[in-house]
Amino acid sequence: MHETSIVNSIMRTLEMEFEQEKLNKMKAIHLKVGILSNIEPRLLHNAYSAYHITNPGYHHVVLHIESTELKIQCEVCNHITDVKNYRFICDNCERPSKNVIQGEEMLIHKVEFDD
Amino acid sequence: MSIEKSTKAARGTAQCENTNINLLKANDFVADIIKKEMAKSNTLLVNITSSAGSGKTTLMQKTAEKLKDKLNMAVMVGDLETERDAERIRETGIFALQIVTGGICHLEAQMIHQVLDQFDLPNIDLLFIENVGNLVCPASFDLGEDYRVTLMATTEGDDKPKKYPRMFLTSDMMLVSKADLLPYLPFSVEAVTKDAREVNHELEVLQISSLSEEGIDEWCDWLVQKVKQKQQT
Ligand SMILES: Nc1nc2c(ncn2[C@@H]2O[C@H](COP(=O)(O)OP(=O)(O)OP(=O)(O)O)[C@@H](O)[C@H]2O)c(=O)[nH]1
Ligand SMILES: [Mg+2]
Ligand SMILES: [Zn+2]
Repeated sequence: MHETSIVNSIMRTLEMEFEQEKLNKMKAIHLKVGILSNIEPRLLHNAYSAYHITNPGYHHVVLHIESTELKIQCEVCNHITDVKNYRFICDNCERPSKNVIQGEEMLIHKVEFDD
Repeated sequence: MSIEKSTKAARGTAQCENTNINLLKANDFVADIIKKEMAKSNTLLVNITSSAGSGKTTLMQKTAEKLKDKLNMAVMVGDLETERDAERIRETGIFALQIVTGGICHLEAQMIHQVLDQFDLPNIDLLFIENVGNLVCPASFDLGEDYRVTLMATTEGDDKPKKYPRMFLTSDMMLVSKADLLPYLPFSVEAVTKDAREVNHELEVLQISSLSEEGIDEWCDWLVQKVKQKQQT
């Protein structure tokens, strides 16, 4: 269910960001979503297909979704740790950290338009 | 995976815009407006989340009973279909409004903003949002709250923090609720606290029961202190 809201939000966000004239030429949307985002790419693709039923205007726009793994960077020793089992603790110095540098993204990171 | 149609090479005229837009920007934009409204009236906004049935409404009733003479408080309650929770809260003598989401599994900033003018904000010190019972979707939607509090009932599995890490990462406080049942359940407060703090080492943890009132005074003291802090800014 929340995938539907997320698709609506993406489209509303793009409408805030770009002129309608430009959106008419939109041809692909690239998302980057971290594993912490609670976004399941497969479900998001389904919700996106469903969106076109009520909003046929964007039916030719392709959605690409890239998933990213979880990484933190220690504020103390700068070491970058691949987080396993949601243990937010530096591999190097064992200090806890909330400094997520990857894996939390919910980004529209590229939009393609036809000329 | 979707099938990529590469018309790009053939035409050679495609235009690309590299962006870094949060895909919930539309939501966060409205959340910011809510934050500003709350700042204007010095109202503390607390978002209460949990799985279904962890004791959110009961806690709202208990909190109202304890604090309504000290603070002006009100509640908005998100629910999939019914008006029942708001009625239960109103019975304690405070204002409560139901937001029926019509099947949507979380509240969005827009839904909060839409009902904001039904609240007399300048005369409300503490406004609660009881979110829809679910630990997944509500984690992603900022409602402009000052604090996010997640209930984790002793009747649930104590593996929730690792199953729903985003919720625990974005929460400020975890309330281990229904603590009166601890003697009868294979639930370890220590284990759940350890797991939750592995996700979020800044998380505050409090053990409460709306039934036996264990921890309720500490919870109310926490709220009163946060209200005071908000009013000093
Ligand atoms: N033993 C015990 N039961 C409780 C406590 N708090 C709530 N309950 C019971 O748990 C059930 C669910 O409580 P609610 O307060 O409705 O839970 P909720 O989180 O608001 O539920 P939803 O809004 O449906 O997600 C009810 O039967 C309550 O009586 C408690 O502290 N101890
Ligand atoms: Mg409830
Ligand atoms: Zn370190």
